[in-house]
Amino acid sequence: MADIDIKSEIAGKVWLIEAEAGQSVEEDDAVIILESMKMEIPVAAPVSGKITEILVEKDEAVAEGQTVARMEG
Amino acid sequence: MSWENNIEEHERRVSKAEAMGSTKRLKERAASGIMNARQRIEELLDSGSFHESGRFAVSERPDAADKSPGDGVVDGYGRINGREVVVCAQDFTTLGSSSAINNGRKSQKMWRSAEKNGVPFVYLSECSGARIPDIMGAVGMGRIGEGFIFSRRRLVPWADAVLGMSFGGGTWVASVSDFVVMRKGAVMAVTSPRVNTVAISEQIDPEEMGGWRVQTEITGKADLAVDTDEEALQAVRQYLSYLPSNCEEMPPLADVPTGSGDDANRILDLVPEERRRTYDVRKVITLIVDRDSMFPVKERFGRSLVTCFARIDGRSVGIIANNPMFKGGALDVDSCDKATSFIAMCDSFNVPLIFLADVPGFLIGVEGEHKKVPGKIMNFMQALELTSVPVLSIIMRKSYGQAYINMGGGRSDEMACWFTADISFVDPAVAASIVTGVDPRTEPEKFAAAVEEYSLGCSPYDLAGQYLAHDVIDPRDTRQWLSRMLDAHQRRRTGGIGAHHMQSWPFTY
Repeated sequence: MADIDIKSEIAGKVWLIEAEAGQSVEEDDAVIILESMKMEIPVAAPVSGKITEILVEKDEAVAEGQTVARMEG
Repeated sequence: MSWENNIEEHERRVSKAEAMGSTKRLKERAASGIMNARQRIEELLDSGSFHESGRFAVSERPDAADKSPGDGVVDGYGRINGREVVVCAQDFTTLGSSSAINNGRKSQKMWRSAEKNGVPFVYLSECSGARIPDIMGAVGMGRIGEGFIFSRRRLVPWADAVLGMSFGGGTWVASVSDFVVMRKGAVMAVTSPRVNTVAISEQIDPEEMGGWRVQTEITGKADLAVDTDEEALQAVRQYLSYLPSNCEEMPPLADVPTGSGDDANRILDLVPEERRRTYDVRKVITLIVDRDSMFPVKERFGRSLVTCFARIDGRSVGIIANNPMFKGGALDVDSCDKATSFIAMCDSFNVPLIFLADVPGFLIGVEGEHKKVPGKIMNFMQALELTSVPVLSIIMRKSYGQAYINMGGGRSDEMACWFTADISFVDPAVAASIVTGVDPRTEPEKFAAAVEEYSLGCSPYDLAGQYLAHDVIDPRDTRQWLSRMLDAHQRRRTGGIGAHHMQSWPFTY
């Protein structure tokens, strides 16, 4: 099991948190949904596995490339 | 019997040339499931179609002549799906297929032959770099410098499969090719990690320097990565199937697979009506084009934009589509580069372009400015303005600001909007914030009224009413509309052969 950082590929604001620590996710499942460019943009799990940590809160500003959650997969 | 001696000697020399290099290396490759140069050629070409050129060439250095069959490259003529091609395969078992005078002359002769005869050029890269000692000293360097030609215009399609460690010459060819596929595990870089370590004292992992993830996701120099040699060679065959043999011909027509377009009604299930919501435009494209004909290029690079070849009613097309699944479909530096190179390639080979727009704008911010985004946006525009192939565009949900123009707005032979389209300078909510300064959290009703005000006049019927779009269509009719417009805009006066203004544009941005 490798520890994997889940990173945002765009700057924006956290709109929804779709997963919690301990939750199993499939590849491409949305973990966080950002609001950016007036769009709801999912930050997806890069692989299937289990979320270990959510690192952001609702309404928090997120930078491009920022790690928003961690998982093992 | 002198004839017998001649025949025997000739057959001995043929066997030696065809045996390639080190027996040990050939066995090691076979054991690890990696093809050698001749097996790759056999896999690439139609069965029995290969005819070699230059098989008796060896190193120009007498002391290396005996151990350099073909001087480390296997070149020749063959056919792919019945169409003539020229192929050069680097034979890594012979002196690492290192670049030297005679193998350079062979490859350059074949490249020129492909151009003169108007047939695609396929290069199979696996190269240890320049050959030492051949290139050493003033004369060695001088001769290499004098003999090699690097200028290329897009006269015939070039495809490169990078199938192993590839440094120097193998990478140069890939860097000026129209299509590059890598086998995972292969590396494409200027020099080997060892040379890097000696030159700049940097310990480098080859994968980190030029592996498939680097080249497909960070640089975009490779269009596709696959697991095996066989898949890479199949990808080359498929890539060439969308293109003509040369810039003076039209792409071949294909049969239309049964069931193409049957699922067009599903578009309404795939695309959310609410334009804030995302979806994967690749799924929409598969419903529009001929069944199984979608062939993405640079799929892992600049992912907010999809560039792919496909067919509609058997005709090759190049599709450029915003993908809201990534970055909301906003155009960034990488997606601009990707669009520019794809437009230049399609225009050079008479492939009509189709734009599918669902774009919130260009991705603004410090990062983009530092990466020259204004120049990238204008490169993209310049490419679009210089095209002479038919350009069709469809606005699917939204198209705002300069991105509206880059995605074909006002620049298309025919432009339609889905009835869901929304067209303006920016999203109405952005305009409301900028102009009124109202905070939606503290004054929601005032903000909503401002949004409503700026939403007026953004409909597709407003655009079509001033003949700034040529039609408004039901999304389910997209395939029929495109097929009919491709037929209408065939450039019959020239037989579809374009002016090719971007023929000599760069291959890397």
